[in-house]
Amino acid sequence: MFHWLEKHPFFFALSVFVVIAFAGLVEIVPNFAQASRPLVGTAPYSTLELAGRHVYIKNSCNACHSQLIRPFKSETDRYGHYSLSGEYAYDRPFLWGSKRTGPDLMRVGNYRTTDWHENHMKDPAAVVPGSIMPKYTWLYENETDVATAYAEQLTIAQFFSTPYNTPIPMKDGSSKIIKMGDSIAEANALALEEAKVIVADMKDQDIKDAVASGKIPEIVAIIAYMNSLK
Amino acid sequence: MNKIYLWGIIVTVAMLAFTYVSVIGSKGGFNGDIVNMLAVAGAVALVIITVFVVIKYVRQMQVDTADGDLADENWDGIGEYYNPIPTGWAIIYLATMVWGIWYFVAGYPVNSYSQIGEYNEDVAVHNAKFEKEYASITGDRLVEMGESVFLAECKVCHGLAADGIDGKAADLTVRLESVTVKDVIVNGSTNSLMNEGSSMPGRDGLMNANKDYAPITDSEIDAVSVYVANGMSGEGADVFAGACASCHGTDGKGISDLAPNIASYDTTLLVNVLNHGKKGSIGAMPAFDRLNAKQKEAVSAYIISLSKGE
Repeated sequence: MFHWLEKHPFFFALSVFVVIAFAGLVEIVPNFAQASRPLVGTAPYSTLELAGRHVYIKNSCNACHSQLIRPFKSETDRYGHYSLSGEYAYDRPFLWGSKRTGPDLMRVGNYRTTDWHENHMKDPAAVVPGSIMPKYTWLYENETDVATAYAEQLTIAQFFSTPYNTPIPMKDGSSKIIKMGDSIAEANALALEEAKVIVADMKDQDIKDAVASGKIPEIVAIIAYMNSLK
Repeated sequence: MNKIYLWGIIVTVAMLAFTYVSVIGSKGGFNGDIVNMLAVAGAVALVIITVFVVIKYVRQMQVDTADGDLADENWDGIGEYYNPIPTGWAIIYLATMVWGIWYFVAGYPVNSYSQIGEYNEDVAVHNAKFEKEYASITGDRLVEMGESVFLAECKVCHGLAADGIDGKAADLTVRLESVTVKDVIVNGSTNSLMNEGSSMPGRDGLMNANKDYAPITDSEIDAVSVYVANGMSGEGADVFAGACASCHGTDGKGISDLAPNIASYDTTLLVNVLNHGKKGSIGAMPAFDRLNAKQKEAVSAYIISLSKGE
């Protein structure tokens, strides 16, 4: 057989690849399968959070903000506990980022609040002197695309068995259910319910009025997403 | 003179001239920058070394003849000189092998390395150092440490000057603002900042003892809010005595396990806010329990020092 392989360079190259890939499979796959399981306390994104994640990606927040805290004292002091693989189990795609023009946002929900985000996105330099982050004023005007978020929920629930509507174990021993609607109308209603909780802590009357009339400005969705990052 | 030396000199001069024109002759030139000077010195050295090395080997090819002892082996007429490795090289070669074995087995064991382990060691070393250098600091050094923690963690909301950036967060240069006091009197407070386990009633539950326990009125609320915000002075003293003093004390300094000090900041109150966060009239403040105990004490000392400066 080896004699035959030596005379056929293509199959020789192929078998070299298979032999080396086998080592990779044995070394990497079992460990990866273990480490990529969701941790206790890691829950899938709710409808509004997922819509906010889409706003985050759409505005390329990940170009300047990473979501990965490395195990260095200087980082954990500033951003909190270092990131664990299982925490990204429901991130598709993950938003680790490779460049920090702004700070890491992996656990921003732990140390920033709704009204801070509201002030900050409107005019970052007014809150953080010298900040080079641009103003994201359109977030206060554009309406959130809940339908796309709902479509993603349906897809990941079906193809990746993301546990919506089932109890998820939390760190304190309790469990939490992340709801997913049965129809777009229901998804809209769920998102609006979440939005009402967020706007209760906001100051901008236009945003409050919009949510009261059933519309969800993008700022509300992205704040819901920011607050979910813990 | 051999032609190659002439060419060597011509090439050296040409390359140095090129370096001169492109760096020193350009707009900005050295610009007084040590890095630029080092780079040019490096370029000059590189030119000279390159030319000399090239000349040396080209000359060697031109004039050298083979000599030495031929080895016994012979391959189709091609022989090899007996050419033993220099002793220094042999020693370095063996020493590298020994070092390599030590490095993988003892110095930096590949099997027992863990990134998290290294992180834990770093943290332990840092904590030990922190304990040794800062655990017992007091006074000005504590305030100084508090300022640096404040600038790292608190300034994004409370502002560089701790003034709350036009009402976006609490103004820490004063104990309380009248709007805040008013809000708490109207709505009550369930923050339990002193671990008191009870909450402050809203306006429906506040009576003025000096007026036969009549519910507190709008004008009384306004007066006492200004009174508290002014550092317990001015009009409203009688309302405070009647409605607030029973829990907050006649001087407003609070009663332990019952009500916080509203006349001035104190460490217990501030550390509790840092531990649990709070939700007030302006908005919510998240907990900062990841600061260590000394850092919390230091931030408190800094905030106390700010309001004393008035």
